[in-house]
Amino acid sequence: MNCQKACVLMSAAVDSELSLKEEQGFFLHLSECKECKDEFEEAKKTKLIIKEKIVQFKAPKTLINSIMELTSLSTMEHEETLLFE
Amino acid sequence: MDKPDPTRHVKTRTKKESLSREERQKQLEFQKEAVVHLNSLYNYALHLTMNPSDAEDLVQETYLKAYRFFNSFERGTNCKAWLFKILKNNYINRFRKNSKEPGKVDYDLIKDFYHSIKDIQNDTSEAESDYFHSLLHEEVYQALHSLPEEFREVIQLCDIDGFTYEEIANMVESPIGTVRSRLYRGRKLLREQLEGYAKKYGINTDNHQ
Repeated sequence: MNCQKACVLMSAAVDSELSLKEEQGFFLHLSECKECKDEFEEAKKTKLIIKEKIVQFKAPKTLINSIMELTSLSTMEHEETLLFE
Repeated sequence: MDKPDPTRHVKTRTKKESLSREERQKQLEFQKEAVVHLNSLYNYALHLTMNPSDAEDLVQETYLKAYRFFNSFERGTNCKAWLFKILKNNYINRFRKNSKEPGKVDYDLIKDFYHSIKDIQNDTSEAESDYFHSLLHEEVYQALHSLPEEFREVIQLCDIDGFTYEEIANMVESPIGTVRSRLYRGRKLLREQLEGYAKKYGINTDNHQ
């Protein structure tokens, strides 16, 4: 495998999305190429940064309530139409 | 429509109960499968709209639609992915036409937005000690949002929401190969941005192992 091919597989390697065969070729190349190995480590780090540093906000209570209502409301509407059938 | 009369009433009641049990079951299943993803959906909507009230509208609309068409959700597949796709379509129909051009980023808007909803949980788990260590949440957020949308989107879906490449490919309606290369290029761009921040603090980025 050359560096160009390794780059194509880089992201999938970070995300464990390689096929077994691709994986073998990729890591064999990494063992021989410091540049690609560094790049791989950096890409893994970048993913980790995003995962850890991007704040996940909690949905506001009003939104949660309205979603809960939404499902029970349609039940009530349904019941009403049946009652007046 | 007939006037209600006592003899019919009994019959209607049984019918009503059996139907409403069905509805009740759908409701329970919906809550178990779909409503549990509310936070993820809200965050996705925030990233898309960068406006809390638009995000709320979008999520609400998404759940309304999802509930109505819940029967068409293929059981056993990823419900979160299904919901994300609905939300994305809603977003395109509703907001994108009037929004900023892709690639143009309003940093002030991002900053304001971030501060306006930053009362929240402070993630204490820091990344392993490295040159990104001192980066602020806000800077990472800003860096992510400075990326062209096609890159930001796949990074978000992959790294924040944990979707598989197959699910992402389906959501962005592109082949898996495209998802791979967008992630590769997107992460590279992101890294350059983040290194910029790190350098600003005088942190030596060349010194990593």
